[in-house]
Amino acid sequence: MFETVEQVGQGLAQQRYIASAEISTVLYLAEKLGKPLLAEGPAGVGKTELSKAWAAATERELVRLQCYEGLDESKALYEWEYAKQMLYTQLLRDKLSTLLADVGSLTQAADRLASEEDVFFSERFLLPRPLLRAINSDRPTVLLIDEIDRADAEFEAFLLEVLSDFQVSIPEIGTIVAKQHPVVFLTSNNTRELSEALKRRCLYLYIDYPNTEEELRIVQLKVPELSPRLARQAVEVVQSLRQVDLKKKPSVSETLDWARALVTLNAKSLDPDVLENTLTVLLKYEADVERARRMLRRQGATSKN
Amino acid sequence: MEDRIVRFIAALRASGVRVSVAESQDAWQAVEQLGITDRDTFRLSLRTTLVKDADSIPTFEELFPKYFGTFTPPLIDPQAELSPEQQQMLQELLQEMLDQLANDLQQLLEWLLSGRNPTQEELEAMAEQVGLDQIDPRSPYQARRAARRMQNLLNWEQLEELLDQLWEMLAERGMDPETIEQLKQQVAGNEERLQQQLNQFAGQRLEDNRVDEAQKHKPLQDLMNRPFNSLSASEMDLLREQVRRLAARLRTRAALRQKRGKQGKLDPKATIRANLRYSGVPFEMRFKQRRLKPKLVVILDVSTSMRPVAEFFLRMLYELQDQVQKTRSFAFIDHLEDVTPDLTGSHIDEAVYVVLTKLPAGYYNTDLGFSLHQFEDNFLDTVDHRTTMIVLGDGRNNYNDPALDVFNRLSRRSRKLIWMNPEYPAQWGTGDSDMLVYAPLCSELYQVRNLAQLADAIDHILM
Repeated sequence: MFETVEQVGQGLAQQRYIASAEISTVLYLAEKLGKPLLAEGPAGVGKTELSKAWAAATERELVRLQCYEGLDESKALYEWEYAKQMLYTQLLRDKLSTLLADVGSLTQAADRLASEEDVFFSERFLLPRPLLRAINSDRPTVLLIDEIDRADAEFEAFLLEVLSDFQVSIPEIGTIVAKQHPVVFLTSNNTRELSEALKRRCLYLYIDYPNTEEELRIVQLKVPELSPRLARQAVEVVQSLRQVDLKKKPSVSETLDWARALVTLNAKSLDPDVLENTLTVLLKYEADVERARRMLRRQGATSKN
Repeated sequence: MEDRIVRFIAALRASGVRVSVAESQDAWQAVEQLGITDRDTFRLSLRTTLVKDADSIPTFEELFPKYFGTFTPPLIDPQAELSPEQQQMLQELLQEMLDQLANDLQQLLEWLLSGRNPTQEELEAMAEQVGLDQIDPRSPYQARRAARRMQNLLNWEQLEELLDQLWEMLAERGMDPETIEQLKQQVAGNEERLQQQLNQFAGQRLEDNRVDEAQKHKPLQDLMNRPFNSLSASEMDLLREQVRRLAARLRTRAALRQKRGKQGKLDPKATIRANLRYSGVPFEMRFKQRRLKPKLVVILDVSTSMRPVAEFFLRMLYELQDQVQKTRSFAFIDHLEDVTPDLTGSHIDEAVYVVLTKLPAGYYNTDLGFSLHQFEDNFLDTVDHRTTMIVLGDGRNNYNDPALDVFNRLSRRSRKLIWMNPEYPAQWGTGDSDMLVYAPLCSELYQVRNLAQLADAIDHILM
């Protein structure tokens, strides 16, 4: 459906995602080579957003798996619905007793039950989690595995297995093979080294903070109410804050929040008062806010002179 | 082209980028998909398939132009647009001139005026004459110098004079000025292109040599294995980054351990209680939860002998305090200071600075014995059977009383007492080191000289 790299960029632009040439090229390749795409970069530069935009642009369903410490197969792949199974056995107790009414011995009863046990281990009682949902879906899907670096190394190994052949074997049911290969996005904030094996299977995309012009375009696209002059000033402040050694640098999404805050407060210019009041939208640590205040005051002083 | 890509991948590997065979195969496929006509797209298709690490991107960007440099245009034939008579004239003249000239200059004139590109053999021959392979390929700017040497070899400096002669003679023989002007420009263009070709050739040749060289010698010892006190400022920055990652790894490990701790046994009492409302049918399982609440008490020596490594330990402490809720940190030289509040809240650089200024380094005033007494008097409540105590220090006690009885009591009281010492075991016990008398009282002992060892030690503690 997307025949050239440019079309990929346009498709994303329609979803209000500004993609650099790099992003479109890599996405195009991921699509053509059928490989998972690993997007790395600081938090809040639009990695997750990219996969959402791509799902929308290609009219695929987005299945999201958020990773966290201690995520395991039962949370990611499937789980038996124990409570439901239990409930059914309770409700069907009468039916079971009629079924077993005419048997003579215990062995016969067990045999008869055994012939029916598939009922309780069928897809009816299977609770599909994101991975299984993406594989089992009839519609084409985009599978987003978010913040893979937060999951444990064990889970990564398990993921490799699923991603390599897109099939899942469930002992009680059998192997479920993907009806269509989902497009896989992995994102990582680079807090830990991912395994070589996983990286080898993916195409790699590093998304960094945008430069002033790119960020300005993003702000103007997402928060058109903000006056162009103020938008530029705001973006410049954010860009200069990123140069400072902060505990957490302001991300693009925080720039947008800030822009929205400025619109809501009906700010006319970035005077010290406005800055003072809204800086906490951008920075999330007290120490960072202090540092930024000092820096901005210094800058204000020099620009006045 | 194929050859260049293969060499490029080899160069990436030689520069320390891990490229597997599968990845180079992906690169081929990507190039097949997008072609090589657009240089930028080509660069991106190679980058996304070959480089899987943000740290390696600069290496890639540095190498790429050396291999797929700015496209060098071939020489053009300045005689193409001349009429047959004019060509004839030029040829004759040229022949006359060439006969009087040195060999090298002949070649140069021929290339420029006929538009024939130097062949690979000719370039190789020149390379050999200027000794390109003997140049140290690792130092920068060598490529340009080598290219200039090749130009000198061709007697480039005499070229202008010669060309001027040629133009004059052509004019004398009645060639119209316009044609001469045109010829002049084309030859000047050719000069530039030839220069570029030489530059590129020399650059690639040196790069190839560098790769071969690098494959012979393994890269220097990696950062993780270098002692803390032998690092340059830029390496320090890298190392700080490593510390941050190490801390993140610790956190996942700790979390994993806690998760395993949670998968306890079935708790029958709680299960029955929870399922009373289902008339005793066990719908909801309850498990015994083992709660692990690790507590950490760290005592850090920041005396003169420890200063070079103290900063890293402090950074590590700072990160640890972020991760393990109940960490108490103490620093000592001649007396003990509780630095826990300094390491929470403020920025890491400030925190480290504050701690180091709080305890100014003096001369021969380390006193662990006294500090231990102080600890026992004031902070003994921080140590209980769940506490892991870590002492970071070299055990050089300045011949003061080591206070072994206090140390022993602390060792018995805590869950574990771990000592990390930056000195080599051979140095333990020499001079004023009391390491050997403390050693039997510790549950674990680690030599921690570099990040790799620090990581190992902490891994062990968390296991």
